[in-house]
Amino acid sequence: MRKNCGPLSSAFGIALATLLLAPVLTAQYSTNSAKSDSAQAANAAVKTGTSSVAKIRNWVMPRMADGHPDFSGYWNNLSFTPMERPAKYGNREFLTPDEMKAVFKSGVRGSYDPGAQGSEDRYGGELFNPDSVDYDATTYGLSPWQNGIKPNPRTSLVVDPPDGRIPPLTPEVKERLAAGARGGGGFPYVIDDHHGGAVVHADRARDLGQGTTCTTQSGGPPLIPAEYNSGLFIAQNPSYILIETETGSEFRIIPLDGHAHVGSGIHQWHGDSRGHWEGDTLVVETTNLRPDHTYRNGDPKTEKITEYFRRIDAETIEYKFTIDDPSTWTRPWSTIIPMNASTGPLFEYDCSENNNDAVNILAGARASEKKAAEKPAVPISQK
Amino acid sequence: MRKYYRHAVIFFLPVAVAFTLLTVKPSAAQSPAAARTNSTPSAARPPAQASTAAAKVPTPGQFPPYKAPRTSEGTPDFNGIWQAFVTADIDIQDHDAQPGPHVDIMGAYNQWPGGQGIVEGGEIPYKPEALAKKKENAEKRTVVNITSDDHRHDTGDPELKCYMPGVPRANYMPFPFQIIQTPHVVMMAYEYARALRTIYMDANDKTIPHEPPADSWMGWSHGHFEGDTLVVDSKGFVSYSWFDRAGDYHSDALHVVERYTQVSPYHIMYEATIEDPNVFTRPWKVSFPLYRRMEKNMQLVDFNCTEFVLDLLYGQYSKK
Repeated sequence: MRKNCGPLSSAFGIALATLLLAPVLTAQYSTNSAKSDSAQAANAAVKTGTSSVAKIRNWVMPRMADGHPDFSGYWNNLSFTPMERPAKYGNREFLTPDEMKAVFKSGVRGSYDPGAQGSEDRYGGELFNPDSVDYDATTYGLSPWQNGIKPNPRTSLVVDPPDGRIPPLTPEVKERLAAGARGGGGFPYVIDDHHGGAVVHADRARDLGQGTTCTTQSGGPPLIPAEYNSGLFIAQNPSYILIETETGSEFRIIPLDGHAHVGSGIHQWHGDSRGHWEGDTLVVETTNLRPDHTYRNGDPKTEKITEYFRRIDAETIEYKFTIDDPSTWTRPWSTIIPMNASTGPLFEYDCSENNNDAVNILAGARASEKKAAEKPAVPISQK
Repeated sequence: MRKYYRHAVIFFLPVAVAFTLLTVKPSAAQSPAAARTNSTPSAARPPAQASTAAAKVPTPGQFPPYKAPRTSEGTPDFNGIWQAFVTADIDIQDHDAQPGPHVDIMGAYNQWPGGQGIVEGGEIPYKPEALAKKKENAEKRTVVNITSDDHRHDTGDPELKCYMPGVPRANYMPFPFQIIQTPHVVMMAYEYARALRTIYMDANDKTIPHEPPADSWMGWSHGHFEGDTLVVDSKGFVSYSWFDRAGDYHSDALHVVERYTQVSPYHIMYEATIEDPNVFTRPWKVSFPLYRRMEKNMQLVDFNCTEFVLDLLYGQYSKK
């Protein structure tokens, strides 16, 4: 009896939640773009344990003493949704309930694989490697159910252009990349076996790229889910917002007080961000990025990154960013990545202080070279 | 006689009042009493031009009574960008000017200024064996041998390797740091190596463990206010950070209690009590002022020194 009770009450709770929440969630997404009612209902069903029903229904926008929305707290932007829409969905913006459940389930499984999220088309359009055993969630505490991730009804994170794909590159940027400009923060010195390649270039630490050398790990803009540890902490007062990303313990300090940008002679890993309020939306514009550290090889001279933070319910910040860089992409494009409420604290990420990767990769490369250089001794009989 | 006196009073009184208004009142604008009654004494109050004749040159180490401005929650407001101007990062004790490493090619670019110590009473109460370790640290402060285990910390000043500075060293590095205060936390964001501290201010927040859940370079900190003082209690430190380039160090039993007291619109008096029974025979204190950075457009900029030390750290593994 007792055993049956759980599933029964859960099923009842989900049904109830679906009925109660459909209007709330429909309203939630209606401001964004065309929507699928079935997706909304499915979202409600998966999203709620019964405990959060009252929380979501009775939610009132939390506000600071100055009247602006309060974003402070712990969030997580881990995503199982591909950046670009897989071809099989065509122009469909939202998943069916069954598809959403399947994507979420495989995402949970694949999240044990660092490298599985945040990339696209790596595993036939899904963001997971079904065979991965890289991470044991019971050991590392990085499992999705510990960080608040919820199913996302969208077929892709890119919401504009309408095909859900990042627009084509300009001819100009193709030349720039061909000329050897590096960027993106994740210069691939080595692609390990199950990712399909084995290119090794590790003469000196710089060859390992910004991530592996702990030069920078994350932080944006834009704020892209890390492969794991996608925890975020926001501290807010009337004059500043500080956003900490757990990966790398990196932070951005965003003035809200009309403080002028730094001069053009200053280049920053996370650029120079300024925030302002448009109604209840926090709008953040960033300049002064480093040419060797722009998202997807944007050109800091022409790139404008605008981020929009909007609280849409008790457990979600809708985070949207728009990239307008006419010298890199043929048109502006926009992406929505939900930030889900999480619990603190974030932990200090001592990256350079504890960098075994750099030592082991370089030492391994030297050992390989040494082995290759040791030619077999010429047999005595041939002397 | 009495009549003359009365005339004199009638005649001189307005003159005296006028004189008083001209001389005394402007200077009162900067008096401690005025500062006490003004809860937001920062940029809003222009300097009183006529007061120069009456203003006194401040005495170092002494501040007139002062009440810090308050946040909308009513707590003393520490928001701002602050910096120490002591030479304690070189040596927290008294030290002469000295040539830095590779002075043969670095010339005056790399010579370290002398300075007076920040340790109250001058002496650090090392246990005898710990003092020997401090001396060894100093001798090997530029010996960098990065391995893929904890032995990477055996020698070499963590600052040389661009590692996180620890506490209290972060506060006297020659770099600014920003305090961002919210109703829940006080964030201390350091320009040097972009180190970050979160001071948890809400003792009732059960999601934040009271005891350190893991050791870290910047420690696990809870804070509270005592009048105009922010008191920060930190522990849960790794044993790898040093207090200075002179090899002063601690173990993972380090416990630091800091007191940040606003003593003027532009100064915080900082005091840290350092306790570590593995290394010291008793608790000891450092103290120095922090200065508010007043540049019109002041903000932190990147000092991501990891980028610049890669070959120092990993050069022994580079292709020859």
